[in-house]
Amino acid sequence: MTRLFTLLLLFLSAGPTPAGGTYQSPEDFLDEVFAGAVPAAQVLWLKDDVRETSTAIMGHRYPAIRVRYWLAGTRSAWILEEIGKEQPITTGIVINNHGIERLRVLVFRESRGWEVKHPFFTDQFPGLGITPAYELDGPVDGVSGATLSVRALKKLARLALYFHSQVITDHDATQ
Amino acid sequence: MTRHNKHKSAGTRLRSLYLWHRWIGLLSAAFVILLSLTGLALNHTEELALDSTHVQSPALLDWYGIRAPTEITAFSAGAVTVSAIGSRVYADSMQVANIEQPLIGAVHISDLIILATTDKLLLLTDDGELVEEMGAAAGIPAGIQAIGVTSDGRLVISTANGYRTTDSELLAWQEIAQADAHWSGPVTPDPALVTALQTSYLGNGLPVERIMLDLHSGRILGPWGVYLMDGAAIVFLLLACSGIWLWGKRRASARAHRRRAGTQTHEKHHSAESTTASQRQQHEQSQQ
Repeated sequence: MTRLFTLLLLFLSAGPTPAGGTYQSPEDFLDEVFAGAVPAAQVLWLKDDVRETSTAIMGHRYPAIRVRYWLAGTRSAWILEEIGKEQPITTGIVINNHGIERLRVLVFRESRGWEVKHPFFTDQFPGLGITPAYELDGPVDGVSGATLSVRALKKLARLALYFHSQVITDHDATQ
Repeated sequence: MTRHNKHKSAGTRLRSLYLWHRWIGLLSAAFVILLSLTGLALNHTEELALDSTHVQSPALLDWYGIRAPTEITAFSAGAVTVSAIGSRVYADSMQVANIEQPLIGAVHISDLIILATTDKLLLLTDDGELVEEMGAAAGIPAGIQAIGVTSDGRLVISTANGYRTTDSELLAWQEIAQADAHWSGPVTPDPALVTALQTSYLGNGLPVERIMLDLHSGRILGPWGVYLMDGAAIVFLLLACSGIWLWGKRRASARAHRRRAGTQTHEKHHSAESTTASQRQQHEQSQQ
């Protein structure tokens, strides 16, 4: 009986799992990705075709005219944001050789859908690329109760892959 | 107590329960209608655009305690007045951004309006379109105290750890020992602009979805509203239970009634048959 009571007390005092918040600061993410040697930032201007395609991917205009990125060889890192339901989700995405190397939720501000921060969801992205129709070339299973957050992260993954293809083309052309 | 009295008392209790069930059912119908309508609306929030439609009623806004802040921070950036009211930033009367930290200044450099909060810079075109939001990842240190323009037209920020300036593309930042700059300082906004900002602030303050959620949960009446909806939910449960019980009772009673009626008919039929047979026997005897 005492053991049961203790267990019940522990269960009640455990409290809810922490939800939204900053899981990793963008600068720490970049430090980790480039092992402390973060390359100089560059910017991709969203003009003409790039603006049009990014709007098609997002379903609305990306809320900035230029996007900052960090490029080292064939690897590029992007800090992108998309609104889940009401608040932007800040996401760090690394692309290497036209495939996703890493996707991490850095800041989550919504009250629901924070389950997308967990590796069981984000680990589905590495290795995925983009089709000529700007869709992910592999499946990503959703998370029950986090539909809008899942949708936002899938859009950002497609956008980062598309942006990478643009900057790598520019990078190749200049070499 | 005789069996008849017991039967009568059970019948009275049943009738009384039925009356209670009926009246409570009628009273709770209002809650059922409210919950159904708000539930349906909430299931189709996006199609009905409840999250993007805002309440304009002054009474409802007042009920929610939404009043336009009287304190407005404003700065001049070229020909534009940049103002912060609550967490919203306006370029003249157009809302251009939401900020999490206080607005501390705004400048205008080479066709860009640059706003500074204590932890980031926001770059806007003259049309109010966001060019980029620059935070820690872009090399902007937290604790910005002021933003200004140097005499040679470069952007400069003052932080607790000194001054920093950047290149013409606003990409890389470097520390400088001192800054001979014109620092952005607050200005008094035009009264007409203040009125326009307050009207805009109130107009976008309360989405209809919030009202629907609060009607559904009872929160629109405060904590007591939640208890009221809890009470309604308990009443619905009681109604469901009493309804099922009454239905079962009536069904059983109807079945018993039918069985009794069947027995009586059979007995009547049997006694009628017996009477006919005895009459026939008497008739035969009289003929003999």
